Amino acid sequence: MTPDPLFKPDLLQGTLDMLVLRTVADEELHGYAIAQRIRLVSGDRLAIPQGSLYPSLRRLENQALVKGEWRTAASGREARVYRITAKGRRRLEAELREWRELTTAIGLVLGTG
Amino acid sequence: MTWLSRLFRGRTLDRELDRELRAHLDLMTDDLVRSGLSPAEARRRAALALGGVEPVKEASRDARGTRLVEDWWQDTRYALRALHRSPGFSLAAILTLALGIGANTAVWSVMDAVMFRALPVLRSEELYALRHGVPSDEEPSYLFSYLGMGRLRGVLPDSVPLAGMGSIARMYSSAGGRADPVQGQPISGNWFQLLGVGAARGRLMNPGDDDPSTPAVAVISHSYWSRQFDRDPAVVGRVIKLNGFPLTVAGVVEPGFDGLTAGIQVDVWVPLRIQPEIRFRGESSSRDSDTEKPWLPQDGIAWMRLITRAPRGALQQTESRLAGQYRVELLERNTNLSDSAGRAHRLTARLELEPLPKGFSSLRSAFGDPLWVLMAGVGLVLLIACANLAGLLIARGAARSQETSLRAALGARAGRLFRQSLTESLTLALIGGLVSPVVAWWGGRALVRAASAGPQPIPLALSLDVRVLGFVAALSVLTGLLLGLVPAWRAARSVPLGSFQAGGRMAARSLHRLPMGRLLVVSQIALSLVLLAAAGLFVRTLRNFLALDTGYAAERVLEARIDPRGAGYAADALPGLHQRLLGAVSAVRGVRSVSLSMHGLGVGAQRLGGFTVPGVERPPEWNRQGQENFVTPEYFATVGMVLLKGRDFTDADREGAPRVSVVSEAFARHFFGTLDVIGKRFGYDQPKFEIVGLVRDARINFIKQTPPRMIFHPLSQEPGEYVQSLEARVDGPVEEVARMMRFAIASVDPELPVREIVPVAELLGRGLSRERLLARLAGVFGVMALLLAAVGLYGVVSYSVAQRTNELGIRMALGAQPAKVRAMVLRDSLAMVVTGLVLGVALWIPLQRLVKSMVFGLSTRDPLTLVGAVLVLGMVGVAAAWFPARRAARVDPAQALRAQ
Repeated sequence: MTPDPLFKPDLLQGTLDMLVLRTVADEELHGYAIAQRIRLVSGDRLAIPQGSLYPSLRRLENQALVKGEWRTAASGREARVYRITAKGRRRLEAELREWRELTTAIGLVLGTG
Repeated sequence: MTWLSRLFRGRTLDRELDRELRAHLDLMTDDLVRSGLSPAEARRRAALALGGVEPVKEASRDARGTRLVEDWWQDTRYALRALHRSPGFSLAAILTLALGIGANTAVWSVMDAVMFRALPVLRSEELYALRHGVPSDEEPSYLFSYLGMGRLRGVLPDSVPLAGMGSIARMYSSAGGRADPVQGQPISGNWFQLLGVGAARGRLMNPGDDDPSTPAVAVISHSYWSRQFDRDPAVVGRVIKLNGFPLTVAGVVEPGFDGLTAGIQVDVWVPLRIQPEIRFRGESSSRDSDTEKPWLPQDGIAWMRLITRAPRGALQQTESRLAGQYRVELLERNTNLSDSAGRAHRLTARLELEPLPKGFSSLRSAFGDPLWVLMAGVGLVLLIACANLAGLLIARGAARSQETSLRAALGARAGRLFRQSLTESLTLALIGGLVSPVVAWWGGRALVRAASAGPQPIPLALSLDVRVLGFVAALSVLTGLLLGLVPAWRAARSVPLGSFQAGGRMAARSLHRLPMGRLLVVSQIALSLVLLAAAGLFVRTLRNFLALDTGYAAERVLEARIDPRGAGYAADALPGLHQRLLGAVSAVRGVRSVSLSMHGLGVGAQRLGGFTVPGVERPPEWNRQGQENFVTPEYFATVGMVLLKGRDFTDADREGAPRVSVVSEAFARHFFGTLDVIGKRFGYDQPKFEIVGLVRDARINFIKQTPPRMIFHPLSQEPGEYVQSLEARVDGPVEEVARMMRFAIASVDPELPVREIVPVAELLGRGLSRERLLARLAGVFGVMALLLAAVGLYGVVSYSVAQRTNELGIRMALGAQPAKVRAMVLRDSLAMVVTGLVLGVALWIPLQRLVKSMVFGLSTRDPLTLVGAVLVLGMVGVAAAWFPARRAARVDPAQALRAQ
């Protein structure tokens, strides 16, 4: 389970925060599940170095974009699950809009748009 | 969660994270077990995937955003532990810093009180004083007549107030038994209202109190209320007598306000209109008027300072209205003046508003520059102390280099090491800063006492308020930074494990030269030289002043400062009083001769008049002023003034006899251009006086003032003049004679106030309080700097000798002579001393200009002072290096080598 070369955590810290936020936007998830979900959805292209997941969650929580709560899962394991807040949703929308504009613009320049 | 709660719940958050990471591992292990791995292998894989738990925790803690503060707290605790481990060093360092910061704060608090602090009144920035005069003349005048105040008020709208006040004068109150001296000030009824000052008890004055049909009231200051009445609320309504005149106390002013003049506390305020009743004679200038008659109706007597309150928007208009009225009066007054040149000169006079947010202050002009010099001096001492302690910290750092290297090897970044080392010096400085207000409180008072002329300290409100404490805080941080930057920089450069690689000796090798330590010593010597040179200048200035020829015998003459006016004597009772006083005092054992004079020696009180010489035309701007005094026969012999020509006054010079005068050399030269003046005549307008004697010039007012142009009149020809001084030439013990004189005066009239009986030399010395203060404090700073520099040099040389024991041992084993080793160490130290001295001289040369105005009788470039300072510092430097050098020469080669 080596980190995918596509993902350099230092370079993409802001991006990681956005991925995490997007992932918890649909349902409540615990840390491990968030990592799994991102890998799955990206078709195994993005493997999050699990070590950087938790600092990212702390940052989001400090800005009150997500909220964490302890739950007992079906397996009987305790886990802290995260869900997006209203503020988080607004931020996500803004970030997505920006992202789309940026990729469109880059696409135009590169001639792939 | 807020930043603060994250900061304080750090431990809880750490535990939470731990739990969460464990949960992560468990979940992943479950997954992997389900996919067929053995539990042990699954656990291993899960741990691998997560990476090290500690780095994740560290990164999450960073994300908390409270890192800096937590590190700081950790560093502080570490620093405190380190300081606790070497209590001797810590105590010495903290004391040094507390003294340094405290001394700086003390000077600052005095500066603040004298120069910067605004008056405790409503919106002080709106206050203005009226000043007027011919711009080309030196000093503007602040004085106006009572009628003049009324006319100026007339041109102002009701919304702009104008208030007047007489000068602050000594009065005698009946409140504290008989003749209790107080500082009194006559004011207009709207004065307190204009200032916006409130009452602590009763009421303050209001415009109604200017009405002569109402009973006259007095308002007392809070400090006088506390001092004299023990804060008795029943004081309101009580009647006190001021110079014998009864006044009802209307109220007490709120605490903190004691007048508009920094350095003088007013005790009692009274209405202007009772000027004649209390025989008020303050600062005044008069022309075509009789100062013995009531002052209020006489337009020729200017005796009041005027203040107004003009909000920013109304300033221009207020000023132009007042200036316009002033111009009108100026033209009217000079319309009949025939001399056209003189008229044109006088008509250039103008009235202006001068901002008054800090009040009037004679202290500001007298002590402004010296205080800056002292501030710079005490700042330099602190700088030297910082350099000194920085040297010690570096040596400590070197001793701890193994520890620092280990930390670097364990992953501490340079920034972290830097911060930690800096925290240690900051902690030192802050602890020193915490202690320093004690030093500042005490030092500030000592400074004011040292600056005060006379037995009473200048009443200056020194408070440890927000401004002063802010200064302490800022200075402590600055000191900590200055102190710690160099050691911190060295700590940050620690090579991981460097100290271990060479068996702990690499640090020693790189340090035995201690380039930074040497640089610090050099700078200490340079700064000390500056302080010593300045101290030398000030000490010599004081000596030059004391060595001046005053023109009279200051040592053996006692001056009794009396006040028949304050005692209520009528003019026609004066001749009798004078005779009785002279008789009683001359009977005292030890008194050789006695005289009376209107103005005593060395107190600065003076009467100036304008004089003309018949048949001589002078241009209008020519200075026709002379200083008049009224004296009894034998005055010159009593005070020791030398009569160069002519005769002394005799009993024959009485009322009705031809008017005679004795003049000084300066007067003769100025008015006649020759010393051959016996028999010549002069006067105010008419040549009323004939000169019968010429005395040598004398520094009669202040030692610093060049001898004035003096005219002496026989008191017996103006018997209605009030004298303020009785002089006695004495032998024997001065204090004993002074005591007996007091009894003799009391036997004539126990009610006659005697302010003091002191040798004239002491009165003169008070005029040198500024020079004494500078010489004394600059001397103290110089010695402190010298000691610090010596200790610094000693420390660095000792340290380097200790580090080189090994090397020195080898040298001696190979045959080096002890004398040679000693010379080597001494040469090394001398190089530092000489470099420091050269730098110091280079630093002093541009700085000396700044003290020019405070130096007398020698050039600031005075070579003797500089050479003296260089020699003293050089000798102390050699002495400080001598002991370690001797120790180096006594190194036992065998022992030195065994020790390694």
